[in-house]
Amino acid sequence: MFFLGISAYYHDASVALIDSSGNLIDFKKEEWLSRVKGDKSFPRLALQELVETHQLSEKNIASITFYEKPVRAWITVLKHSVKTNPISNELTRNYFKNAWRSSMRFQLDISKYIKLKKIPLLYSDHHLSHTLSTLYYYNSFPYVSVVVDGYGDKYCTSIHHVKSNNEIINLWNSEYPNSLGLFYSAITDFLGFAVNEGEYKMMGLAAFGKPTLYEDLKKTIKFENNQLIIDTKYYDYVRRTDRSYSNLLINLLKTQPRQPDIPLEVGEKDFQIYADIASSAQKVLEELLFLILKYAHDISKENKFLFSGGVAMNSAAVSKCSKLDFIKELNIPPSPGDSGAAIGAAYYGFINKKNKNLDNFVSKNNIKNNLFPGKQKSNEDFFNLVFEKISNKEASLTKASELIAKNEILATCYGNMETGPRALGHRSLICNAHNSQLIQKLSTEIKKRNLFRPTAPVVLKENAEKYFHLKKSLMNCYLHMAATATPKDEVLDNIKGVVHIDNSSRVQICDENLLLGKILMNLKKFNIEMIANTSFNISSDPMVYDKEDAFLAIERMNIKYLLTETGLYLRKNEIH
Amino acid sequence: MILSPDKKNQDLLGTLVEFAYAEYGSALEMLAAAKKAKSPKLKLGYIRHASDEYRHTALIFKVLSNQIKKGVGKFKREYKFSPQNVVLKGYVDKEGFLVEKFPLKKFVEFVYSNEYLAKESFDYLAKRIGDAESLKTLKNIMKDELNHADDSEATLDAIQKDELIHHGMAKKFYESKFPNSKLQLAFKREKIKNRFRLFYYKNARFLNKIFDPILNFLINCFGKIVNLIIIPNTNKQNLMSSNPKSVV
Repeated sequence: MFFLGISAYYHDASVALIDSSGNLIDFKKEEWLSRVKGDKSFPRLALQELVETHQLSEKNIASITFYEKPVRAWITVLKHSVKTNPISNELTRNYFKNAWRSSMRFQLDISKYIKLKKIPLLYSDHHLSHTLSTLYYYNSFPYVSVVVDGYGDKYCTSIHHVKSNNEIINLWNSEYPNSLGLFYSAITDFLGFAVNEGEYKMMGLAAFGKPTLYEDLKKTIKFENNQLIIDTKYYDYVRRTDRSYSNLLINLLKTQPRQPDIPLEVGEKDFQIYADIASSAQKVLEELLFLILKYAHDISKENKFLFSGGVAMNSAAVSKCSKLDFIKELNIPPSPGDSGAAIGAAYYGFINKKNKNLDNFVSKNNIKNNLFPGKQKSNEDFFNLVFEKISNKEASLTKASELIAKNEILATCYGNMETGPRALGHRSLICNAHNSQLIQKLSTEIKKRNLFRPTAPVVLKENAEKYFHLKKSLMNCYLHMAATATPKDEVLDNIKGVVHIDNSSRVQICDENLLLGKILMNLKKFNIEMIANTSFNISSDPMVYDKEDAFLAIERMNIKYLLTETGLYLRKNEIH
Repeated sequence: MILSPDKKNQDLLGTLVEFAYAEYGSALEMLAAAKKAKSPKLKLGYIRHASDEYRHTALIFKVLSNQIKKGVGKFKREYKFSPQNVVLKGYVDKEGFLVEKFPLKKFVEFVYSNEYLAKESFDYLAKRIGDAESLKTLKNIMKDELNHADDSEATLDAIQKDELIHHGMAKKFYESKFPNSKLQLAFKREKIKNRFRLFYYKNARFLNKIFDPILNFLINCFGKIVNLIIIPNTNKQNLMSSNPKSVV
């Protein structure tokens, strides 16, 4: 029997599938298949693919769990809006008008693809789905789970005491609109980046600035008397649909919001002031996060933490959490945002079914074994028209390593995909991390990214301590780039291409059994101990999913080499 | 699914945005078709077509940006490219890509007639930018920027050329696959659809004026009910023992 979990309608939609032994056997994001970045609509294509691959039907689906309580989610914002705004307010009207597009239509949508007569349809609490999506990977007890995101049915931040799979006590919440995630998104919007997508750009930009506006921003959101309180006078996400900040915030920051069409390049006019705003917001976020974590420790008395929600993707803030001495262990799932919550929803269905039998349940789940779940069809029948196969499967990694040693850039489209937003090797662009010029070419010429965006290093566990100051409490985070680390002074010159301006690197410590680990093992003979890694996609597109996407991206990015699970390929030089 | 620019419409920037999304939608449709195609050559053809459409999207946004720089209009937030708008604006139907919904003949008919319409629209759009005195200024700015790859006129010429190729390819494919079919009907059908889209866009604001008071009245009534609803508090509760079937 299978347990389906679905997340949709607000952030990237996704579907997760767990089997009767509690193993995550598949996960698909809708954007991978629809090719619309951040696709939040009902995950029709992802679901259809899972149904086909695993031959799902009403006979073998034990439950379908939606990741939040739809009516609660819809009513909370509407209720707040009706209460605090004039009735003709834009946000209220928009919420009302778009009810048919919201999660309230979930049952209608799912019934188009799966017969529901015999399958129980369950609804998990939004933040519980996040907690469970983390617990799935770190299945030992007890924990305190902290969920910090923009907004999920009713709450924006939650603290859960996880005593067992069956006992997760809700200790504390911060209700809408008091949201750390929405605060960060509002500043992201102010800086001209897209909300729900540009937050990581703002984090990268923050490193270039100084928190000169910290005191001003601090006035707008605070953690006081164990409550997170945002002053909504400064934030229009409670009133408008077209922007998240108010005129008061513009006055407070004494700067006009950045127009999204004006390039933001290091050294150009206004770059510094926007970097300073980003830096100030980052500092506010970090300080409030620390206070919430401290409060979580105080009320739960636990020092092993689970951390999820969109804010858990802020790797700069996560790495600073290691300074908090009450945290012994900080665990983050590979996909801490809403799309990963589908895994939590599926797990909720599993626990719900097993119930008391779970006393004997010993999870085999862990991060290492679950970075690339699923089954993926591979279609390379057109490859001979466009590629020359330069190496078969057996020799491909040796050959790939030789090319990296010759300072070539390789694209990978290798088996299943990573669940989270970080490319961990299976959908990556990789090159020698000891060559900073090559990394700059990869970042600016091929990926066409702004200079302020960092490129990440990958290193084997045996070499990790040689290059970085690692924090014991964050060891699990380094496996999937959830935290940054500080490089050691003596190696800085050798890896400067993968070190950000604030002297941090979002490192991935790779197991030698994984693809990048195997390549790193082969690279030893060339004295290359680190690979630079960035996601294989064009900035406005989702990560490459299948071989058709891979070839299209290769054409658009003008890349020569592609490594797949069947071999290594060189693009034919055809004139189009 | 091309929104033809309205000859009387003064909103050149808005038209460019719509055009860019139409091209983006077309890229997604072509990529979806590539994934369904059984013949490797056909698959490759669709991928290359998709690649062109992606490029056009980026180039049209570049043209738009250049037009704003020279003062044709002011930047609006809706001019910023957001992939999800392709769904919201209806250029891609989330219920199914064309290749999923149509049999091959109808799909090719659709592509063929829309490429024809796209070509027509591009001719008109190029003229609108080309005729404007502002284009001269734009060209001069471009000349100053020797390293700047984009020249609006050249960009549009290149896109036009691509559209001609796509139209030619679609025509060739259609005629070889369905030699005795007549396309006039398909052309007319697509033209009428486009006119409807344009009519809808032009009148959307007017329709809002009619429906907004009704909506406000409904919100007013519903708002009062909503305020009475108490959402249960889960504080100190074991979340795993709450009712899993409840939507509240």
